[in-house]
Amino acid sequence: MRPFDFSSEPLAPERYREALADPAAGGYASFEGWVRDHNEGRRVERLEYEAFEALAVKEGERIVAEAVTRFGVARAACVHRVGALAIGELAVWVGVSAAHRGEAFAACRYIIDEVKHRVPVWKKEHYTDGNSGWVNCERCAAAAHEHEHEHAHTDGGAPGPAHGRPAAPAHDYSRQIALPEVGAAGQARLAAASVLVVGAGGLGVPVLQYLAAAGIGRIGIVDGDVIEASNLHRQPLYGAADVGRPKARVAAERLRALNHDLRVEATEEHASAANIDELVARHDLVVECTDNFRAKFLVNDAVVRAQKPAVFASVHQYDGQLQLYRPLPHWPCLRCLWPEAPRDGLVGNCAEAGVLGPVPATLGALQAMQALKRLLGLDAGEAPALVTMDLLTLETRRLAARRDPACDHERIAGATTPGEAPLELEFETLAQAFESGLELVDIREPWERAVDPPELQIPAHVPLSALVQGRTEFPVEGRYLIICAHGVRSLSLTEHLRSRGQAEVYSLRGGLAALRR
Amino acid sequence: MNAGAAMQEIEVQYFAVLRERAGTARETVSTAATTAAALYDELAARHDFGLPRAMLRVAVNDEFADWSRPLAAGDRVVFIPPVAGG
Repeated sequence: MRPFDFSSEPLAPERYREALADPAAGGYASFEGWVRDHNEGRRVERLEYEAFEALAVKEGERIVAEAVTRFGVARAACVHRVGALAIGELAVWVGVSAAHRGEAFAACRYIIDEVKHRVPVWKKEHYTDGNSGWVNCERCAAAAHEHEHEHAHTDGGAPGPAHGRPAAPAHDYSRQIALPEVGAAGQARLAAASVLVVGAGGLGVPVLQYLAAAGIGRIGIVDGDVIEASNLHRQPLYGAADVGRPKARVAAERLRALNHDLRVEATEEHASAANIDELVARHDLVVECTDNFRAKFLVNDAVVRAQKPAVFASVHQYDGQLQLYRPLPHWPCLRCLWPEAPRDGLVGNCAEAGVLGPVPATLGALQAMQALKRLLGLDAGEAPALVTMDLLTLETRRLAARRDPACDHERIAGATTPGEAPLELEFETLAQAFESGLELVDIREPWERAVDPPELQIPAHVPLSALVQGRTEFPVEGRYLIICAHGVRSLSLTEHLRSRGQAEVYSLRGGLAALRR
Repeated sequence: MNAGAAMQEIEVQYFAVLRERAGTARETVSTAATTAAALYDELAARHDFGLPRAMLRVAVNDEFADWSRPLAAGDRVVFIPPVAGG
């Protein structure tokens, strides 16, 4: 039999198996892919497979030859079905004979994983509701596929590369598969994994690029910001032409172009109590890349609730911090380290404090590494710690951390967000805000007011630094709209004042920057 | 400071905003402070840190420690504020 073939007739595994008989073989392993009755929550009635055979057979033969060489097996073959299939029918068969079972299993797994990724086969699902759709579109780009399908993209956002384009070579993971700790099995684990990246900024950009390039199967991107010119120096995934476009959408486009194997889902809104649990639930691991404490603790609580691993990082000017959370009984969460949830604005964020691009890039690359290690199971010996790094002195410290007995993970797990008056109010212009009846308070630092005066004078000025350092108090009587540059510090202060019982304080959503858009 | 207390040398490192305020990433201090808390209070006054201790963490000899932890000569103490940029 040919090492790779298509069949429009029902598959016959017993016949194929005989063809793999070899006197040197001490074992045989096979895999059968069956047509199942559901996909992504929809009931499937039947399927149709279609292949671009000339190209697909060549690629399939290459895969089988790779497996034979790589794992030193005796014989291997794969047959893929095309045409109309009913539920329960065999869609694909892989068989391997080898001297020992280890190689047989590994080669079998390698072949099916690679076939799924590299061989241009399209699947049309017919649903019980009468609809149908082509799926597995991410493979389309691997083929010189000349005719158009009525492809229904299941991964949302902008479509991937056009189907009429010349073939792009398959993504080559050989340099990481060559690592004994990774191998074909590790690569398959990455392909089966899903990662949620919260924040597509200075930390998120390298995280997204390295995870996409490494062959993570599915990546979720959450970011509600649009790209600003001031982002570009530390977020080189984006270019000047992208300014003003949603970050999550542009990042998803770039990642699709980077690796056609990838499924990427963009959520063009900030992580919030309304969306975080659902997003976390749909991924195996979370990488937290935002620039504010509010989001960091939101993500922390969600991963503690969902018992999912997470990689946290933060930077301040030349310093970075890195922390892995694992859902193990002795493992500390973010709140174990910082029991007094810090307030934003206390130590500045990139927008206000300044940063050189390679600082978040270094920490982001470390986050990607931690994520890959966790997914590959290479971090077994790693004890909980906060890693601090000073990029000026290149000093790195690993500070052993413990679970804080006073930090009640069960309580976090059971906590729901309290329903109360909105913390943030949205206005289109400063004049509208003045007309709201609230007293406007600018909490920016004096230098910020000097370099960036708003179009209307805000007389009330209470710099956040003065509040934090106790040099002044926020007025207790009255109804206030708190204003800063981007709405992060003002939201944090609003939360703090609310927690002290001051009910009628609000934050200007998005800060002064939002009014100018 | 207790006039009768013995002075001991402690190696201190500052992180992030504390480094900016102290104007140095590390210093060796000669102090009569016997706990991490007392040492922070002494240095906060000297460098005008303006950050309440409750918001920070302290690590002694590369392990997070309680503020009440007693200090010994030669200990390496790191004061770490939370950091949020990204």
